[in-house]
Amino acid sequence: MIRVKFVKIVGTSLKKGTVTIKYPYEKPLITSEFRGKIEVDPAKCTGCGACTRICPPKALYLVKEGDNLVIRYFIGRCIFCAMCADICPQKAISVSHEFELATDDIASLYEDIEHDLVKCACGKAFAPKKLVNEVIEKTKLPPHLLTLCPECRRVETVKRLSFRLLGVKW
Amino acid sequence: MERLELSKVLESIARGKRSRDILLKMSKVLGRKMRNVKKVGSTSIFVEIDRDTLPKVALLVLYNEPDVYFRTMVASDERRVEGVYKLYYVFGIDSEGTNIVLEVALPQDEPVAPTIVDIVKAIDWYEMEAHDLMGIVFRDRDLPRFVLPDDWPQDLYPLRKDVSIDSIRKNYSPKAIEHARAIEAEQIVKIPIGPYHPALHEPEYFELYVRGEKVIDSRYVGFLVHRGIEKLAENMKYNQVPFLAERICGICGFVHSTSYCQAVEDALSIDVPERAHFIRSIVLEIERIHSHLLWIGVALHLLGYDTGFMHIWRVREKIMIIAELLTGSRKTYGINIVGGVRKDINKDKIEKVVKTLNEVEQEYQHLIETAMGVPQVKKRLSGTGILPRAEARALSVVGPVARGSGLARDVRKDYPYAAYHFVSFKVPVYSEGDNLARTLVRVEEVMESINIVKQLLDTLPQGPISVDRWDVEPFKRGIGAVEAPRGEVIHMVITGRYGPYRWRARAPTYQNLPAVPIMLRGVDLADAAITIASIDPCFSCTDRAIVLDLAKGSIRTIPISYITQKGLPR
Repeated sequence: MIRVKFVKIVGTSLKKGTVTIKYPYEKPLITSEFRGKIEVDPAKCTGCGACTRICPPKALYLVKEGDNLVIRYFIGRCIFCAMCADICPQKAISVSHEFELATDDIASLYEDIEHDLVKCACGKAFAPKKLVNEVIEKTKLPPHLLTLCPECRRVETVKRLSFRLLGVKW
Repeated sequence: MERLELSKVLESIARGKRSRDILLKMSKVLGRKMRNVKKVGSTSIFVEIDRDTLPKVALLVLYNEPDVYFRTMVASDERRVEGVYKLYYVFGIDSEGTNIVLEVALPQDEPVAPTIVDIVKAIDWYEMEAHDLMGIVFRDRDLPRFVLPDDWPQDLYPLRKDVSIDSIRKNYSPKAIEHARAIEAEQIVKIPIGPYHPALHEPEYFELYVRGEKVIDSRYVGFLVHRGIEKLAENMKYNQVPFLAERICGICGFVHSTSYCQAVEDALSIDVPERAHFIRSIVLEIERIHSHLLWIGVALHLLGYDTGFMHIWRVREKIMIIAELLTGSRKTYGINIVGGVRKDINKDKIEKVVKTLNEVEQEYQHLIETAMGVPQVKKRLSGTGILPRAEARALSVVGPVARGSGLARDVRKDYPYAAYHFVSFKVPVYSEGDNLARTLVRVEEVMESINIVKQLLDTLPQGPISVDRWDVEPFKRGIGAVEAPRGEVIHMVITGRYGPYRWRARAPTYQNLPAVPIMLRGVDLADAAITIASIDPCFSCTDRAIVLDLAKGSIRTIPISYITQKGLPR
């Protein structure tokens, strides 16, 4: 006797019918938890750069352009892990469901968040304005010290200390 | 008197009867040459030995003990720390779940060690790789180029600490780039065609030597896409590496990130919350289900039963969707970090997952019954690609390959990690060693995994999903092992200040591929594809193979779909 158990599959096929969908005409099957492209809210971002330090593929990075600091997001490198959203102290980064990112224009894969820099008395631009303001607000340190670049701040501190302790004026 | 003290010390270090016996035996052979025996992490015992005593110890530890096998070997450049190169030979005691790690220091001006390839057959690739990447010479054996390309410069050993990625770029550029420069075509996109099919699968290359229909011997050329990720990771932070580790494999990536995290946690004694352990286990089992379903589908395809392939993959899709629901991504889940996981599971998700698993269970059972009822499937699987138990043991094979050859080796049972000691499950073992045995192991494992996920979801404890903080202590060693769908994955980490100082990942295929030539001996050419695929290598199947006909002396390259058809004129 020939065994014909495998013929049963015909029934299964008939019962199941078509299981594929007509993508892109129909909506793709993604769940609520899907991690897609990230969105950075420029209003909330202070330019601290925490995201650029954790980003495993370095899809987020800092660039200094003239007197501006740019946080650049290159989607081409992004692995959609959302570590940046986890780490952002301002909760400025959110994860979208967007994944249809193919393009023939590479420039559209870059997104920039620009920040004005604070200019020190010496003329050196050193840190994003919003970040400095945030620090001033949170730490209650004297603003005139925090608006100096690290180099000038060091000199200023030594000057003040030597005046207070030794009475020497530089 | 001295002997008595030593045995007392060993007693306190050993984790059980077996490790104590083995350590005592070693001390008898080595005497004073056995130094610095210490417990490391939760499963390992490190023993420092002289390089000259290595063959003696390897023979003793591995060959005379039935439950010991070779797990991995790590070469590490510790010249800046201790002024030496180090070799770590990791042997596992299956019956007790303990690692015995032989630590061998090699002076930096003479990084030479004796080979133990005659004793431990499985170490062949490890020694060649250590020579290629770290410049360690093994006496009395051939050390051909293995991982690196043939035109790689002499004396440039990329994993050494004094070789930076920049200096590698300066000293080596692939032939293709040189050629492009010569014809002034640097800006032109280069598309390499072959040795792999560029469309689908991963690059691999087998040369089969045949006489008539029978395969007589075979040769494997691999490492065509060696990506140097171990070097990359040395420049990354601890919590960035899991994402890199996950990209080692395109199908079972989560095992690598888990294994890496476990190695760091083991080294730094981080106490991971129970809920995180459960979530890791759940995701690992989901991954095993989808990986095995994928493999079963591919196997049916290679056997010419495409209907079964389609239906199995239809069922697999449901698993992919719940994987996304639990982690946020169908693949490369990205939820592992050192000290726990990033994504929690709620009640709603548990319900959905259980519902899907019940559906899948029912459909899968029905489909497998049907597929195994197809005469050609069973007939072509049984009796082909035999790996005898003795050879399997000598090569220290892992995973379904070991379990198909009668070795009940499963990291989940032998070295319980994550939440596996909270669940009950069977480890299917078949002793025939043929393709059917390996297939049935996987077929049954799918059912076991569905069962495990249900048990875990049922008993998921409350609590945090990761530790609040953990501190780094440099130059601690840790080992993490995970049972991947393809077999055991083992990672060793030596901690650095900001990221791993040395990270060694060993995937299961590395251990299993050397067994393929044995399986291929004497099989029909038409069964070569399923035999190679039967170890579930990290490439789904060979897309193209070269056929050398020894009788005719001809060489032809033919597509894989062609050789899987039996009885056709060639």
